[in-house]
Amino acid sequence: MASISLLNPKAEFARAAQALAINISAAKGLQDVMRTNLGPKGTVKMLVSGAGDIKITKDGNVLLHEMQIQHPTASMIARASTAQDDSTGDGTTTTVMLIGELLKQADIYLSEGLHPRIMTEGFEKARDKALEVLEKVKVPVEISKKSLVEIANTSLKTKVHPGLADLLTEVCVDAVLTIASSDKNKPVDLHMVELMEMQHKTDTDTQLVRGLVMDHGARHPDMPKRLENAYILTANVSLEYEKAEVNSGFFYKTAEEREAFVRAERDFIDQRVKKVIELKRSVCDGTDKTFVLINQKGIDPISLDALAKEGILALRRAKRRNMERLALACGGTAMNSFDDLQEEHLGYAGVVYEHVLGENKYTFVEDCKNPLSVTILIKGPNKHTITQIKDAIRDGLRAINNTIADKALVPGAGAFEVRAYNELVAFKETIKGKSRLAVQAFADALLVIPKTLAVNSGYDAQDTIVKLTVEDRLNPDLVGLDIATGEPMKPVDLGVYDNYIVKKQILNSCSIIASNLLLVDEVMRAGMTSLKG
Amino acid sequence: MEHTREILTFQFGTYANYVGAHFWNQQEANFRYGDESDQVAEEQLPHNDILYREGLNDYNRTTYTPRLLSVDLAGTLAHLPVAGELYGNFVQRDEELLPLGTGEKLQKARQLAEESGVSASEQLDVVEQPQAAISEYQRDLLKNAVVPEKNYQLAETVSSWADFLYARYHPRTLNILPGLVRDPAVQCLGTYSAGTELWQGAAFNDDFCDRIRLYVEECDGLQGFHMLHDIDDGFAGLAGKCLEHLNDEYGRASFVVPLHYPRITSYAQADSRLSHGIRVVNSVLSYHHLSEQATMFTPLSTLETIWRNNDLKSRRFEGLHWQADNLYQTSALLAAFLDTATLGYRLRGTPQSLRLFCGAVSPAGRKMTAAGMALPFGLREGQDLIEFLDQSGGQALLTQLTPGCEPGASYVVQSVTARGIPAERLKRPRELAGDQLRMAAYGCDSVSQMLQLYYQCSYHGSVTNAAATPLPLKTQLPFPYEVFGAAFSGSGLRLPGEAEREAGTRVDCAPVLAALQNSTHLGEHLDNLHAQTHRVQLAKLQAYSNSGLERDEYETALDQLLEFRDLYADSQFL
Repeated sequence: MASISLLNPKAEFARAAQALAINISAAKGLQDVMRTNLGPKGTVKMLVSGAGDIKITKDGNVLLHEMQIQHPTASMIARASTAQDDSTGDGTTTTVMLIGELLKQADIYLSEGLHPRIMTEGFEKARDKALEVLEKVKVPVEISKKSLVEIANTSLKTKVHPGLADLLTEVCVDAVLTIASSDKNKPVDLHMVELMEMQHKTDTDTQLVRGLVMDHGARHPDMPKRLENAYILTANVSLEYEKAEVNSGFFYKTAEEREAFVRAERDFIDQRVKKVIELKRSVCDGTDKTFVLINQKGIDPISLDALAKEGILALRRAKRRNMERLALACGGTAMNSFDDLQEEHLGYAGVVYEHVLGENKYTFVEDCKNPLSVTILIKGPNKHTITQIKDAIRDGLRAINNTIADKALVPGAGAFEVRAYNELVAFKETIKGKSRLAVQAFADALLVIPKTLAVNSGYDAQDTIVKLTVEDRLNPDLVGLDIATGEPMKPVDLGVYDNYIVKKQILNSCSIIASNLLLVDEVMRAGMTSLKG
Repeated sequence: MEHTREILTFQFGTYANYVGAHFWNQQEANFRYGDESDQVAEEQLPHNDILYREGLNDYNRTTYTPRLLSVDLAGTLAHLPVAGELYGNFVQRDEELLPLGTGEKLQKARQLAEESGVSASEQLDVVEQPQAAISEYQRDLLKNAVVPEKNYQLAETVSSWADFLYARYHPRTLNILPGLVRDPAVQCLGTYSAGTELWQGAAFNDDFCDRIRLYVEECDGLQGFHMLHDIDDGFAGLAGKCLEHLNDEYGRASFVVPLHYPRITSYAQADSRLSHGIRVVNSVLSYHHLSEQATMFTPLSTLETIWRNNDLKSRRFEGLHWQADNLYQTSALLAAFLDTATLGYRLRGTPQSLRLFCGAVSPAGRKMTAAGMALPFGLREGQDLIEFLDQSGGQALLTQLTPGCEPGASYVVQSVTARGIPAERLKRPRELAGDQLRMAAYGCDSVSQMLQLYYQCSYHGSVTNAAATPLPLKTQLPFPYEVFGAAFSGSGLRLPGEAEREAGTRVDCAPVLAALQNSTHLGEHLDNLHAQTHRVQLAKLQAYSNSGLERDEYETALDQLLEFRDLYADSQFL
């Protein structure tokens, strides 16, 4: 009898082997759910909710969440997978697979009486060795378009159709290279790549806009729809007259007095508008230049009217982050007051135009001189496709950025896992005592990645593993699985790469989580709510 | 140049969405489509563009939807897709309803998605969750076959506000909190701090703030915000943070309505004593925040007292019967109040604005106001307003809807709105006037004028703003018409003597009087709250220690709430 039941007779508990069984079965169950998602040939799931909401995803997290798996162990693994996603943007499915497999392999030895503690010690040794191998096989790369394309393409091909993946790869790499500073070896601020979506019934296309796309347009019918050679003034200055601010708490003796106050207040706003107009005249008159005002605060109809009369295109309520992006894309400074407006505060764009789609308006600011901020415009027939493409792009960008940060890549297609397996099997011989069994378990567990890749592509798992391990032993180069033929191939030749940091993170987090789960020897549930029952 | 003075509405929490659903239903019941021979003058109709926006969906049809942002837990939407039903982007899973709405067939959606190349292997694995049940009323509504006389038994069958929602929302409107699923037994977003934490999380914040911005961008002359939120749970924290954001970013007037559940909320890992503690702390933190951030706030509930209220004593309206803990029925009453009270600044051509309105009833920093309502306004069949007011004597017309608040009858600052009293029922024409001629009020030419005079005479030292519209409260489906007793006629007037409405007929509309009041007595409400805090041991509230509330933070809130209470002291006013 567990000690908890002395204190709380209604507590539920499970001990030792039973507790372990709970954890292992949860991890295995989760692995089964995710198994089919791994790799380029993995399936993508379309989730349809009770009300008919659609979600397309292969992201482990989303799936776990949507399927409403409410098992404490499962949610712990899911959290590890979230952490993986947060820090590297890839490898969520692999994390779940590997944790499941580690537990599965450990179970074989544990059921024969091996103590979990010895198991976890062995895991630690094996992990350190695997990291060593990883260090050895990583391929240092020059940051060039070619290497970035390869890594982005490997990542994207696991998420979307190859044709689309090629397109997205191009877009992602161009985006990063455009905004990368002169020092190409520094990771870029991905916030400066805006993702803008546009729902269009018949049009699926993703393109890179070297400038900015905003999700709002001019609110005055007479404003120009298209301007070329435009000065851009970005500002955070209110151009709307808020009646109530004066009226409340103020009492007027006569109607005239009130009128006078209203006029004075209105005048205050008009002055600001006039300053913009003056600047516009001084820089544009006599040239073919045009003028655009993009304001983070509001602009009321009267001010819009005055601006429209001057041929100025004015946008109100711009996104806060877009102000920063605008300054980077077009140059110029975001102004907080119009008191001292100079030409040098203005940015420049070759063309600014509006695009109307149903009730939504979009404003494109393009042809900037030296854009340090760009937009990826995603067009799709419906919301869920756009979301899936957006997620893929985000992962692609992360993969590129990781590469720039690591300055190294790891050959993909299961090559690292096979090499690590062989090295670990050799390493096992140098270890004394029972913990060598754990090293063997760890090595076996790693093989789940190439195995699943093979199965998902329609090949026999054992066949593949035998072929790969033998080939790897004979070959100094790394050998991975060619999913098109089912035969071993050299990932380096085909340009299949994974991120170094992703692999490293996976090895670290998986062994820790698996060890923690193995060491659990009692699971209990008690609390206020069950007290009531 | 006059332009629309828009208001953006927020609904945080399940009960807030119940009230909101009734509120929007009421708006749409009062839409005029121009073809009705109506006696109501143009300027006495509400200006719908204040609360609504016009849009165009992907099927090129014009939409007219509430300018609204609503947040709720997963599982409260029932059959409603998150994107709403007007703009497509969902699968219609009910064969029968497939040809009617904008929903797609599953096969077609799948095919479309596969063609657009979002799957690496050209195949999509479809995982379907069991189809959500559609209530009978909604089914009929979607088929455009609602029978007004049918008894849908909404009071018994409604399990979520989506079941009786007549209004249709914009895709931007609905927000589901990530990872929180509604649990009928316990409130899973329990504490104020859990709510504020949620607001700060990027998953929710970015998207939600962007939605606010998109709504505001559309407005030519935004005058402010209406905000409804549950106060007994974490949604209060979410709303509080949102209000802070609105003030920072837009600086407009805000009328906030914290709603107390008409039943005891239970929380995870808390027995009834701890639950009470959590509820009190939630209220303290929320009131404190509102006293700083809101332009005006009015706590609403159909209960008489809250906090320590184990027997759930409900307010009573004469002749009305409802189940005290029924969310559907109680929320309808609160929505009726809200709709009526806000009419004052929503009529066409009114010079009133939200800020002026709030300023008028919350003088000298007394931002908390109390709500009172008369439903139905007790006018008898064939009786004129002038007679009714004369005969009411000293009796209070209103029933309070703010728990634990009795503003009293002297030194009250209030804003009353009457609806559904036609001009011809004001007084009799001169030749038939008889006794009425002798009354002082006979000189009044409008309902608002007469109410003004009435309150001038019967409330000592008080300031009253009165407004009126002949438009009655519509009490047809999906309003819980069953709450009306048999003593009212079909148009909501009290039948003379013992007469009863014909069995089988329903009350279709009713005159209503609603008031927002402020007086020194409101300080007692805050005193009550403060008295409860002595029994709360913050350290024992596990839910709060989990969500990281610092003791100091709580004490500061308490202290400042006391300072706020001092504004209601006698010496501070008039």
